Amino acid sequence: MPYRHVYVHVPFCARRCAYCDFAIAVRPRVPVEEYLRALEGELTLRLGAAPTPERRPSVDTLYLGGGTPSRLGGAGAAAAVGLVGRWFRLADGAEVTLEVNPDDVTDEAVAAWRAGGINRVSLGGQTFDPAALAWMHRTHDAGQIERAVATLRAGGIDDLSLDLIFALPASVPRDWAADVARALALAPTHLSLYGLTVEPGTPLGRWAERGDVTEADEDRYAAEFLHAHDALTSAGFEHYEVSNFARPGHRARHNSAYWSGAPYLGLGPSAHGYDGAERRWNVSAYAAWVRAVAEGRDPVEGAEALDPAMRSAESVYLGLRTVDGLTLVDADVARTARWESEGWAERVGDRLRLTAPGWLRLDALAADLTVARSRS
Amino acid sequence: MQLDKIRNFCIVAHIDHGKSTLADRLIEETGMLQKREMKAQVLDTLDLERERGITIKLNAVRMSYTAKDGETYELNLIDTPGHVDFTYEVSRSLAACEGAVLVVDASQGIQAQTLSNLFLAMDAGLEIIPILNKIDLPGAEPDRRAQEVADLLGVDPDGILRVSAKAGIGIGDLLEAVVERVPAPTGDPDGPLRALIYDSYYDKYRGAIPSVRVVDGVLKPKMQITFGSNDAVYEVAEVGYNQLRQVKADQLGPGEVGYVVASVRSVKETRAGDTVFDATNRAEEPLPGYQEVRSFVFAGIYPTDTTQYELLRDALEKLQLNDASLQYEPETSTALGFGFRCGFLGLLHMEIVQERLEREYDLDLVTTVPSVEYKVHLTDGTLTEIENPSLMPPAGVIAAVEEPYVKARIMAPKDYIGPLMTLGTERRGIYKNMTYLDQERVEFDFEFPLAEIILDFFDKMKTVSRGYASLDYEMLGYRESDLVRLDMLINGDPIDAFSVIIHKDKAYEWGRKIADKLKDLIPRQLFEVAIQAAIGQKVIARTTVKPLRKDVLAKCYGGDISRKRKLLEKQKEGKKRMKQVGAVEIPQEAFLAVLQVE
Repeated sequence: MPYRHVYVHVPFCARRCAYCDFAIAVRPRVPVEEYLRALEGELTLRLGAAPTPERRPSVDTLYLGGGTPSRLGGAGAAAAVGLVGRWFRLADGAEVTLEVNPDDVTDEAVAAWRAGGINRVSLGGQTFDPAALAWMHRTHDAGQIERAVATLRAGGIDDLSLDLIFALPASVPRDWAADVARALALAPTHLSLYGLTVEPGTPLGRWAERGDVTEADEDRYAAEFLHAHDALTSAGFEHYEVSNFARPGHRARHNSAYWSGAPYLGLGPSAHGYDGAERRWNVSAYAAWVRAVAEGRDPVEGAEALDPAMRSAESVYLGLRTVDGLTLVDADVARTARWESEGWAERVGDRLRLTAPGWLRLDALAADLTVARSRS
Repeated sequence: MQLDKIRNFCIVAHIDHGKSTLADRLIEETGMLQKREMKAQVLDTLDLERERGITIKLNAVRMSYTAKDGETYELNLIDTPGHVDFTYEVSRSLAACEGAVLVVDASQGIQAQTLSNLFLAMDAGLEIIPILNKIDLPGAEPDRRAQEVADLLGVDPDGILRVSAKAGIGIGDLLEAVVERVPAPTGDPDGPLRALIYDSYYDKYRGAIPSVRVVDGVLKPKMQITFGSNDAVYEVAEVGYNQLRQVKADQLGPGEVGYVVASVRSVKETRAGDTVFDATNRAEEPLPGYQEVRSFVFAGIYPTDTTQYELLRDALEKLQLNDASLQYEPETSTALGFGFRCGFLGLLHMEIVQERLEREYDLDLVTTVPSVEYKVHLTDGTLTEIENPSLMPPAGVIAAVEEPYVKARIMAPKDYIGPLMTLGTERRGIYKNMTYLDQERVEFDFEFPLAEIILDFFDKMKTVSRGYASLDYEMLGYRESDLVRLDMLINGDPIDAFSVIIHKDKAYEWGRKIADKLKDLIPRQLFEVAIQAAIGQKVIARTTVKPLRKDVLAKCYGGDISRKRKLLEKQKEGKKRMKQVGAVEIPQEAFLAVLQVE
């Protein structure tokens, strides 16, 4: 199956955030040249020499994620888009997203991104609370988020998504409702809200292990999630996926491809890809990725062919996480009837989709339905 | 062999008092094998026995001994099982003997179980040869122990042999005493065959092989034989005796002990206590004392993985080939699915069966709370016997319930009188009597409902007495008690595997403890889980497992779908290991937990 979606992982960060367990490379000076050379190398290794323009397959979305892709700078990020463009033609109206930290946004960078074809920015805000930002080890302050939005708009990028993190430990003082209101005031087209997860090996993981912080309890988690749902849907946003909200017409097309089971090409360290039959992922360490490519080896670390059981489990989980839901089969109804009466799910024709209270229980419901289907 | 040259005897001893070492030493002394050939404790053949230091299957060893009188004697040492569960089996092997060597540890003195087996031996009319063992050990108090034994048996303390099986002291004297004091067997060599089966085992090539003691007549190959308990006729292929290995013989005559191979289908047909007859010249009377198998403890055994049901069935079938006292029948539980209700001689027997099933057949099992058999008198005048608590009829139709009682003997140092009395009372024991065995040790007599001692009484008794107390019991019969059926309900549905029959006064506490345990063991789920303990319609304890308000990791995974799927698969596997009862998932541990209620 041809790829219509390309993901490029840019691992660089100025500092590791307290909660982050992603494959990142903390570099005060970003080795832009080396990175771009390796990216070109991976494209060549995996897809062959760059085809002539008329033979380049077209793609609908390109996503530069991280890490902090904006650390590549204006020219660097634009060059990365350009590199991918030598193998793929960006279709008319293609969505080209760059993940950006507020402190990397300057007039010059925005101009270069815009000129390079980037038309959507996902801005890592996380919170507007100064104490919480410091606690998270973020490198920016609240004012920079607001200034970044203004700068991006002034530079012509107005398809803006903003990330926020909810369910912080009770010991971190922050007013979630105020954060949501402040985010709304910036009038983004899209919002991603992630619940804070304590992962082992992160600074936060160590704090939790020592007992210095305690994860937010379920009640707090649920209350903040449901508050955001109410506030954002009242403001005209569509809660279209467990963690994502969009103004009409502004759903993230790239991420939606993941959830719909479409194939995508993943480039860069730790990048995941899916060709319709097999999921694969690259080595996660930046240096290992550079070395593999330099030595002419596919930087793949692992791959798995999806068997029917895996496919079925994925389709249940992916289906339940979006507002499109999934098509019910007979075996489901014994379970899902109760979900409906509890207000966790609703029927739309022959499809079932979760409500916000349902999404709060997404993992349990998905496991429940997977078991029900595997037994039938 | 002439009858007057045969001596059949056994050894009566408490666990650890040195029975097996003594047997080894006798075998060595009579020259049957060299020291280097000895595998410690040659009589015990099952691995499990060796591990636990107890004898379950019986064996006999024939020794040839030339005594001081210059005559050569055939000494048959017949082993007896050493546990309270196997009283009937003990009595049958004692019936094959004329004498018993009573072994008493020179430091520990007489234990409850020794006494029980001693009384059995005395009841069987055996000549008792008391000996003190381990006299060479530092803690030995031979004079004091000799007096204790002398008082018990009414013999002269100086006549009690002092032995160290380990150091080989006094073994020759013991052999002489066996020859001199154990009466020779009697029997009619010309009469029709009567042989007592005192044990049997199953050989997959040769069928059930009974161990027998010939009483009258002669047993030899080509004979047609039959058993008292059934009409099947078999042709004898081989007879012989054990001398560490089986030795073929031309025949077995009166007073002789040996084995019979006749391609008998299973050990069910060669039950201990039964009589072997000549099918063509059947004696009029069978030998006395035969009893049908009687199970006292019952439990459901279920495979954890429902697909192992057939494997479990095959394993039980095979085990029963070798264990005639194991009884089982298929049973269905709403909570546990398909399994078997099994009947055991006692708790140890249950443990052995369970362990062998898991170890030898590689099965993963859930066992329900063990139960006894109740006699339930219904209001319409009928009587029904119930050994599965969930089958107890509703209280409204019950006129009275009877439960089995045992007479228990506990021996312990006097320092533990207090805690043992308390334990006895907690277990609804009826205190009967207490006697000082000497200045240090006491013997208690209690009557207990069997149900109160099958779960963890033995362990508790050992704990409160720092391991010093010993226990023995025998069945007394049925008595009426104020018993109720206690059910555990999950979201209103009774879970059959959790039902127990319990004394009314204890029901509340039991119900509350189980409810609390289940609350800890049942993971929080999407819906509230209500746990109730109820007697009939009356709820006596309740608790709830609060529902999950949230079960989602809404974090950014990007294109890493695999990771999320693996988490989901893990969650799914966890769910599959649980038993689904209605909308509630109950982990296996919950079923085990009820066995360990404090």
